[in-house]
Amino acid sequence: MKVMLAMKPAAKWFIPIEAESIVPKNFLSGTDLLVWRGNRELRLDEVFSVSVEGDADRSEEVEVVLSGDTFRLKRVGEYMDGGTITVLGGIGMHCGNFMSGGTIEIHGNADGWLGREMAGGAIVCRGDAADYCASGYRGGRKGMTGGTVEVFGRAGDFLAESLAGGTVIVHGDAGDMPGAEMRGGTLVVNGNCSRPAANMKGGSCYVYGTAQRMIPTFRKIGTVQHEGRALIRFSGDLANRGKGNLFVKGYEYLD
Amino acid sequence: MIVKDAVCPFCGCLCDDIEVEVEEGRVVAVTNACELGTTKFMGEKRMKNPILRDGDRWKDITYDEAVRYAADMLLEAERPLMYGWSGTHGEAQCVGVHMAELIRGVIDNTSSVCHGPSILAIQEVGHPGCTLGVVKNRADLVIYWGSNPIDAHPRHLSRYTRYAEGFFLENAFRDRKVIVVDVRKTETANIADEFVQIKPGGDYAVLSALRAIVQGKTDTIPRTVAGVTREQLVRVANLCLNAKFGAVYFGLGLTMTRGKYKNIRNAIELVSELSRHTKFTISAMRGHYNVYGSNEVNTWMTGYPFGIDFSRGIAFYNPGETTAVDILARKECDAALIVGSDPAAHFPRKCLEHLAEIPVVQLDPYPNATTAFCNVQIPVAVTGIDAEGTAYRMDGVPIRTRKVISSDYPSDEEILARMYALMQEARER
Repeated sequence: MKVMLAMKPAAKWFIPIEAESIVPKNFLSGTDLLVWRGNRELRLDEVFSVSVEGDADRSEEVEVVLSGDTFRLKRVGEYMDGGTITVLGGIGMHCGNFMSGGTIEIHGNADGWLGREMAGGAIVCRGDAADYCASGYRGGRKGMTGGTVEVFGRAGDFLAESLAGGTVIVHGDAGDMPGAEMRGGTLVVNGNCSRPAANMKGGSCYVYGTAQRMIPTFRKIGTVQHEGRALIRFSGDLANRGKGNLFVKGYEYLD
Repeated sequence: MIVKDAVCPFCGCLCDDIEVEVEEGRVVAVTNACELGTTKFMGEKRMKNPILRDGDRWKDITYDEAVRYAADMLLEAERPLMYGWSGTHGEAQCVGVHMAELIRGVIDNTSSVCHGPSILAIQEVGHPGCTLGVVKNRADLVIYWGSNPIDAHPRHLSRYTRYAEGFFLENAFRDRKVIVVDVRKTETANIADEFVQIKPGGDYAVLSALRAIVQGKTDTIPRTVAGVTREQLVRVANLCLNAKFGAVYFGLGLTMTRGKYKNIRNAIELVSELSRHTKFTISAMRGHYNVYGSNEVNTWMTGYPFGIDFSRGIAFYNPGETTAVDILARKECDAALIVGSDPAAHFPRKCLEHLAEIPVVQLDPYPNATTAFCNVQIPVAVTGIDAEGTAYRMDGVPIRTRKVISSDYPSDEEILARMYALMQEARER
């Protein structure tokens, strides 16, 4: 089953829409769903032109395709456990929160908190991801615990904060403090980033570019070969009695 | 007439030993207060009555009309923002929270642009703090990190630290050491025993290094960290370890610079590390006299200290998304009520561009920068001068501010209660 949701132009276009009802599973029982614009509850078809092709018995057979100006659409795919969501443009905050299965593919950029506290499944973002991609929630001790997030563009600050499991791959640069407080899982930044793995407790963080403003409390272990690259291995964060692994191509301190 | 023990409604020190001389309903002299407090007590040129924007002119309107305008504006909005709250008393803040819940709006206070990051850090790792009195009487080491009390909290030094007597200190001035950590040599740095000058944005690295040194891992620390030599770091760590009771006070130099709440988290974790060896505490140098109160009131009423979004009928909290600067910069609200603060003087230009496009009502005794963005401004009494109410000091101690003069101005609480009554009426219909 393919569900096509095309965003209608709205008078108050600037007010974000919260649409946690947009998960493949919900479309098994029709398109009679509700979304919120600010404090007003609206029917799905008041916000989108909805069209459905085919039918499905399981969420795995459902593909939801979002088009139009979806950059202010929040919480799409929250608690998703199967099926596919394809976003042709950009997507708003909290896309794929708590998801445990299925796939989300975003062709444009993703706003903050993409895949927050994700437990399983896969998210692919073809553009850039904003701050707190694959991170945890305020005050939380564990962020993402499983699944995969892959960003082909750049990522913002606090990428994979409190990462506890799963894999996060960014092909471009990342902002400040990727992998802060991480305790498990794997984080890979292909480009440069600033202050990676601050206060890490466990897990592995790879930076294939330069780690700028490197945290001074990592102990240098030596050089290792990793997937055809020579990387410098550090252990830390010592300040936090951490036993994580940080691998960087190059690094510079703010000395 | 002289009013003794008045409470100064300026900064988070909330000094409660002020003497105010009043003649014919005006404050004519202030004793004990710092320059900032005196200026506030002596303030004049208040707005006389509510005003409504009428094209490019202002029209005088009645309080009833102004309250009705605000209530209608908020009831019609799909995502109203109610911001400020730190410059008013707790009773008014309570009405504000009730209102936000009824109209399903976003309520945020000025913490989101000052010590919000401190609260985020506290939510991650807790707050080993204490009251100012404990520091005054016990602390033999005080660290001011990214704060400059001589300019911003002028009596903090004389009432609680550098120049204060201490019950458990024989000669407080001699026995109490002061360390100042900052990016530039401030006035406060001049009276410190040790000044640590950090390169801008380097606080996090220095805090991490100190934590490692306290754990005895000095060998891994580079020769200099953000402009601070390893020798000085070791000296500072030893000063901390040798103190009987240390107190860290941090300001916006730590909360609003690169890393924000992670800086505070690191500072708290340094304090936890030091508390394995000696007694150490850490507290925020809060700015507005009742910004702490706005966090208290919001927390006991909604579970969250600031940036609370009631759009969906339940409280949702996510600083960075539900906080005033972010909402305005992203143009996510369609009306704003401003109480007891002046966002136009402090927010980024992008936020003000949106503020100029939406209807805005402000409660404030004086014309200020935000007035230029208002559709309606309602003058109110000043808490601590011609209105009374509860405020929370920077260490969380509630102090009831006093009324030193009488005026005809209604208090924030009265105006908000009238708005709230109109809203309740409209919602019951």
